[in-house]
Amino acid sequence: MFKRFCFDMQKYFKYAIYSSRAQLKSEVANSYLNWLWWVLDPLCFMLIYTFIFGTVFDASEQYFPLFIFIGITMWDFFNKTMLQSVKLVKNNKPIVSKVYLPKYILIVVKMMINGFKMLISIAIIVGMMIFFQVPLTWNVLFAIPLMLTYMLLIFGFGTILLHFGVFIEDLWNVTNIALRLVFYITGIFYDVYKRLPEPFNEIVIRCNPVAFCLSSMRKCVLYGQAPDLAILLIWFVIGLILAVIGVRIVYRYENSYVKVI
Amino acid sequence: MESNHAIEVKDLVISYKNLKKMSIKQSLLHFRRKKAENFVAVKGVSFYVREGEILGIIGKNGSGKSTMLNSLAGIFSPDSGTIDLHGHSISLLSIGVGFQKEMTGRENILLSGMLLGFSEKEIKEKEEEIIQFAELGKFIDMPVRTYSSGMHSKLAFSITAILETDIMLIDEVLSVGDAKFKKKSFKKMKDLISDEKRTVVIVSHSIDTLSSLCDTVMWMHEGEIKKIGEPKEVLDEYLEFMK
Repeated sequence: MFKRFCFDMQKYFKYAIYSSRAQLKSEVANSYLNWLWWVLDPLCFMLIYTFIFGTVFDASEQYFPLFIFIGITMWDFFNKTMLQSVKLVKNNKPIVSKVYLPKYILIVVKMMINGFKMLISIAIIVGMMIFFQVPLTWNVLFAIPLMLTYMLLIFGFGTILLHFGVFIEDLWNVTNIALRLVFYITGIFYDVYKRLPEPFNEIVIRCNPVAFCLSSMRKCVLYGQAPDLAILLIWFVIGLILAVIGVRIVYRYENSYVKVI
Repeated sequence: MESNHAIEVKDLVISYKNLKKMSIKQSLLHFRRKKAENFVAVKGVSFYVREGEILGIIGKNGSGKSTMLNSLAGIFSPDSGTIDLHGHSISLLSIGVGFQKEMTGRENILLSGMLLGFSEKEIKEKEEEIIQFAELGKFIDMPVRTYSSGMHSKLAFSITAILETDIMLIDEVLSVGDAKFKKKSFKKMKDLISDEKRTVVIVSHSIDTLSSLCDTVMWMHEGEIKKIGEPKEVLDEYLEFMK
């Protein structure tokens, strides 16, 4: 299976790049201001949350706008990719029913699209960090393994959702509700560690991979602290296992998807 | 000789069992799962196609022709049995290749071509030819969603016809576009088909097409091969049967 995966990845990687580029382009083509929304969208949410939680609820985290912006950026990527995965095969029916392609490539395409938009947000984050004069330490480099783990987890969850999304009609609704729950226990606009009561905060940080990646990312980028490496490694391994399971399921059943949609 | 076979199909069975969609709400309300329907579309079919041969498949609606064509193209997986293509590249030439509606025709040419296994360079080389053949003019740089259905199928036909693969599967494609394009595409098809190395499988209801193009005709009935052999013989019997 590993060999086939490598072969297919090599074969279809270029397709994935072109497909995502073309989709991004077509988003812009419809209205020339659309690319502005890739910037404005997260920026506006950041301002709203900063106002509500910073002013109304009086949050005291250091660099609060950045704190929120990192949260939204990472959450958006996760949220979008998950929701898109569920309906991915159905939405690509014209392609899927006419030619063979490994179905997880569709997730790779979506991750590239969402990843590109995330890059714009990251550029804004860098700009804001310069503006707020956030002191940098070498711990910033932990952002790379953190991102890698995050991507792997998303790919793993995505492939599994993609598979079940084909067969279960209302999985989208369930996923949407589940994601809302995860949203609130991830601490996009608050610090899970400080705000949740004693035993729960540890549990949430350890057991919710999104919360873990998110809070660790803030720690290493904003506050110069290293993430908990043991937990990072565990989530990396789990991500790897999920991805392997997901790709395996997809390989096994992908040819019957067309019969259902 | 075994090595001259382009397609070898053995005991092919394709069924649609257990694949009904369900919803979580439904499975909660009806605790015991309803018995899944089992519909066998292709029932243990074996045949082979020699390299360069043109095989026609005929049969009434729902006899499993298209299902089998899809499985040859690798879109469906067989429930049992094997399909061996001996490493030949294969494409399904049918009305409306997978287009992404928001993208322009030009981008879709590239994407479809890549999905068919061609490199970027090969596609770029043939791009102009495809656009010329499809007669789309300036529409080629407009999103596919703005195309009329005729333009849509003209482009689809042109892509698969000009990006040639070793084996071509044709599903009722001979009636694309207006009279002029129909004539042109029929000629192009004939050129493609008459290439000695190309193996072709055609599914059609048109007796004329099949008898003029094919070397062998296979008649499918309810998922089984009723008869396979000389076009004239099989088609006569088929016509007799359909009366």
